[in-house]
This record gives sequence, structure tokens and C-alpha cells, in this order.
Amino acid sequence: MKLTAVRHVRGYDVARPVSIGVVLVIMLPLVFLPLLSIFIYGTSKGLGAFWSSLTAPEAIFALKLSLVTSFWATVFNVVFGLLAAYVLSRHDFWGRNAVIVTISLPTAIPTAVAGFALLLLWGPYGTLGRLLNPQGVQVMFTPYAIILANIFVTFPLAFGVIKPVFDTMSRSLEEASATIGATRWQTFWHVTLPSLRGAIVSGALLTFARAVGEFGSTILVSGNLALRTQTAPLYIFAKFNEGQIEAANAIAIVLALLSFVIFSVLFFARDWLEFETQEA
Amino acid sequence: MKPQMKLVPDDPHISWAPERAEKTGVAASVRSISKRFKKVPVLDDVSFDVAEGESLVLLGASGSGKTTILRIIAGLEQPDTGRVILHGKDVTDLPARERGVGVIFQSYALFPRMTVEKNIAYGLKIRHRRRKERRETVDRLIELVQLEKHRKKYPWQLSGGQQQRVAIARTLAYKPQVLLFDEPFGALDAQTRVHLRREIRALLKQVKVPSIFITHDQEEALELGDRIAVLNEGHLEQVGTPDDVYNHPATEYVATFLGAANLLLGVVTRGSVEIGTARLPAEKETRRFRDGQSVKLVFRPEDVCLSPDANLPETCRRLANGVIEEVSFVGSYERLNVRLDLAHRPQTGELTAPLYQVTINTPEKMVGVPIMATRPKPEANTTRYKTGDRVAVGLTSFSLLPNYTLARQR
Repeated sequence: MKLTAVRHVRGYDVARPVSIGVVLVIMLPLVFLPLLSIFIYGTSKGLGAFWSSLTAPEAIFALKLSLVTSFWATVFNVVFGLLAAYVLSRHDFWGRNAVIVTISLPTAIPTAVAGFALLLLWGPYGTLGRLLNPQGVQVMFTPYAIILANIFVTFPLAFGVIKPVFDTMSRSLEEASATIGATRWQTFWHVTLPSLRGAIVSGALLTFARAVGEFGSTILVSGNLALRTQTAPLYIFAKFNEGQIEAANAIAIVLALLSFVIFSVLFFARDWLEFETQEA
Repeated sequence: MKPQMKLVPDDPHISWAPERAEKTGVAASVRSISKRFKKVPVLDDVSFDVAEGESLVLLGASGSGKTTILRIIAGLEQPDTGRVILHGKDVTDLPARERGVGVIFQSYALFPRMTVEKNIAYGLKIRHRRRKERRETVDRLIELVQLEKHRKKYPWQLSGGQQQRVAIARTLAYKPQVLLFDEPFGALDAQTRVHLRREIRALLKQVKVPSIFITHDQEEALELGDRIAVLNEGHLEQVGTPDDVYNHPATEYVATFLGAANLLLGVVTRGSVEIGTARLPAEKETRRFRDGQSVKLVFRPEDVCLSPDANLPETCRRLANGVIEEVSFVGSYERLNVRLDLAHRPQTGELTAPLYQVTINTPEKMVGVPIMATRPKPEANTTRYKTGDRVAVGLTSFSLLPNYTLARQR
């Protein structure tokens, strides 16, 4: 390090602090300051006010609903992502690439379009909803609608993390397991799944983080009913519209901290995750 | 941590091979296996047997289909036609997991999330054996492959050789019908390779499990195999003991693939072979050919004997005269390039002269046929040759192969 520094500008490498500085300065107004302002405004009226906005029944309900709906969406998408990754990585069939593209589509579709599409299918006058409604089954404007919306928008995340691991995993591990006498299920449980642990964890965290923050599709399908179908991001939006900045801000802080924790885990678990793939 | 009690008394020659009711003497048998991949034939009517406790080496260049045979025996690939029989039982239609075959993959394929112990115990675990039985078997195997110090380690913490021993122990745990080694030393450096194959050879002699090796390395094949099966483009060229395939190659391919070989074209003439103007007496070797039949004369460099005068040793049959073109030391032996004069028509009375004037190495007249000869060091030190020396050339042993012009005449 010292040697290269000397070679630059008389004992000091100017490019280093300058380049680091440029990155930090650009990030300041774009990322750091907005985040910081949530914390500053949220606590500007004292921690007592912050706490009481946070413990308001509506706020607690909104947070809980977000966590629960995101949890079920995550469970579904990890299980499905695992299955889809296995099938699409191990079997070649006609239309396989079309399926891969379709699975990845929700990343690019605007979330409002996603919500709208769900309404057209499940809504009271939608293709499916029209048949279900007379039976007394109403999916839209319930927590199930929120789970459906979350599943739709986070669909490709877990799949996208797990599939590359399947692709690079050596077939000989599974073949070895088979020749030793294991059934397919035993092989999957004892050999394949442990190698996927890292990918599953990171896929789940990504899915969950994305689902908790989902807004565009949720606001269309949930009806945004306080204490019934109002998730945390919707709560922030509603309170902001009502002019209750502190209430909105308290929840914003919680969501910001949650994503901070999730991505810290993802980042610092990377060594552990890489260990999984290195031996595959 | 030694087990208090052992189920089997400590016998160094305990067999890890499965007990069988019927002792046929044949452990594994491959009958007329053919296989095509997308219409390209990879295996063409391959048949061979592996005897109880024997180790057979499938030797072939890459693309010869040897890995496919192994995968078919293991049940990882289905043959188009033909049967696989293990200890008298036709397993062709059984899935891999019901065949009880032990495969040692080239990459070893150890389970990365399991320790050495757990890797070895895996076969028993999925067979739902009792914990106690599992522990005892693992203890014995870890002792057998000498990994006592490494039992709690993960595969990535082990050297290539250690990983390989774990892979072998992992298959021995469930008493495999047959062990299949896929290029077992391919991933190792030359020195470790030689060391490990001796170790494995000794281990196999101890456990007495019939095994099939796959390799493209002829030296490895000669050392590891009780018998060698030479595979060329999907068909078996020859199956035999190392001595057989090396000293009596059945085809030109076998002769050239296993070590260096010289090849000369000749014609059978009354108990000898005529190569150009040279005449090699071969009463015994020509017996299975008819007069006038075109043959290939195959001989190894070490079977060539040279003499500066015409006094070749008695075990040596005189072939022709030649000129030394190049002498080089290759470590443990000396290699000589000799150009044979096969066009010289002896004048009357000249045959008695031991060495006639050889004029084949002048720049204007580069006729004659180059061959390669090797000599062990002591001989090379007693009689030294230099480029341009004239020598009498004889052969201590050679084999004759029919010279078919068309492949399908084979």
C-alpha cells in the first residue's frame, strides 16, 4: 500500500481520498440526508411523542399487518422459488426460457400495474372474482389481497437468488447420494438443501424486505382501510395526507430501521453464504 | 475414541464386500452394451466381466466411452441395448440407488456440509441403521483409511488424497457390490498420483471389493489393474492382464496406446516375415497367418537389441542393419533413434559379412525406416553409441497383427 502511494504524488495518493470523497458527497443528498431527516423530524418533538405515535392502535395494527402479510408472501415465494429453480435448472423442456422470462417479469412491471392486474382478476367484477363473489368469497380488499400483491411483486426475488446456485451446483453430489442409496427426497433433504441454505436465507430476506415496503400494488388491492387492510407504508401515506407528520414519521423510522437490519444481516452473512457455494 | 466392543474381531483381511448366497466368481458383468447420444454411437457392443476381488481398468482416450460405461454400471445412465449383471442379478432396470454400487467420483463428490464422519455414515443413515452400528462401522472405516485425526473435519479442510480416502470409506460403509473409480487421480499432481495409487491398490487388496477403474493413463492402468480393458471409440480392443495387453497387443491401437511401439509392415513368407528386403524368422508367430498375408510387425523400444558388430545375443532375432540417428538420455534409460535399412539387396557372399556399408543416412538418400529403441543404463554405459554408428538390429520379442486395409474386416 505504502509503495504504490509513494509512486503517486510524493508519498501521498491523492486519487484515494478524492474518489472516496466523491462517492460520499454524491450519496449525501441522495441517500444519507433523506434517511437522516426521518430520524431528526421523527424525534424532534421528544421521544415521548415518538413513542405515543408508535404505539397508537392503528400504527401497531399497520405494522403487524405488514409483517404478517410479508411473512406469508415470503414463505410462499421461497418454497415456490425453490421448486421453480429446481425444475427450471434441472429439466429442459419446450418453453423453458419463456417461463424463466415470465417469472422474472414482476421486477420490471410497475407495482400499480401489478395491483391493477390483480383487481381485474380477483375483483368483484374480475374474471375470477365474478365466479367467486356469488359464493361469498371476496378476496380483494382483505389481508389475502395484500398477500397476493406481495407474492406478485416479490415473485422473482427468491427464485433469482436460488436458481444460480442450482445451476452451478455439481451434479455429482446428487449422483453420489443416489449411488449410495438415497431416495430423491433423502438426497434433496440431506445434500441439496444444505448447500442452498445461504441462498434460501438471502432470498427470504430480500423478499421480506421488499414485501414490507410494498406500496403501489397494495394500495389498489387492499382498499386502504384503517385497522382492517392498512399496511405500514399505506399508514404512512394516509397519515401524511391527514397532515399527521409525526405519526407517519414514527412508522417510517421503524421501516427504515427494519430494512437497515435486514441488509446488514445480508451483508455480514456474506462470508457464510459464500462458504456454501465454494464447495458446490 | 475407540469403540469398547467390536462386532467383528480385528482381522486385517476383513471383507467389506457384501455377503452373497451364491458365489459365481463373477462380480460384475457387462453384456453387449450399446449406447448412442443424439444418434452418435458412444458404445458399441461392449462386454466384459469382473471377477470377485479383481480390479479391472478401463483404459481409453478421452471420448472413448469409458465414463459412459461406468455411469451405465452405476445406473446413472441407461444403455440402449445390453445388460448389466451384478453378482448374478440383472440390475439393468434398477435405479442407481438400488444397485448398491460404490462410485468414487473424480471430484470425490464429498458432501460439503458434512464432516468426514458424517460423510462416511451417510450410507448407513439413509438405510436407517442404528446409531451404535453406524458409529462402529465409521470407527472401523476411519481406522482403515487412517483418518483418525481428521474425523471432525469438513471436506474442504482435507487434501486431495484424504478426500479420496473419505470417498472410498463412504462407499465401503454399505458394502458395495463393486467399486467404480472415475479417473481417480485426474485431479492430483504427478507425485501424489503415484503414491496414492499404490495406497489404493494396497487398500483394495485388503478389502477385497471388486473394482473397476477408469483412466486414460497407461502407466496407471498397468499398475492398478489385475486386468486391463482397452477401449477405443466405443468398442473394446482387448481385455487381458497387463502382461497380455502390453506384450501381446491384439490390435495396433492397443500397441500404440499402451506405451511406445514400433510398427513395420511386412508379408508372411514360409515361417518368417519379410519387411522390405529384411527377413525376420518367426516360426511360432506366423503360424496363425497364411503365406503371403500382409501383417504388421509390432515391437516395443525395449525389445530392440543393437550390436556394433553382428553378434546379437542369442535371444535376439536379427531384423536388419541400421544407423544410429540420435542418442538421448531420458532419466532412467537411454533412447536411440535408429534408421533401418530395409531396401538393401545383399550381393552374393555379402550376407556373411556382418555389417555391409550402410548408406541410408546421407542427406541425398534419406531412405530407410526410423524406429525407436531404448536401453537400460548399464548396457548404455558398456557400449556407447554416437550418431552415425552402424549397428545390427534384432528383436527379443514382437507380435504380428493382421494388416487389414478396411476397418470392417476386423
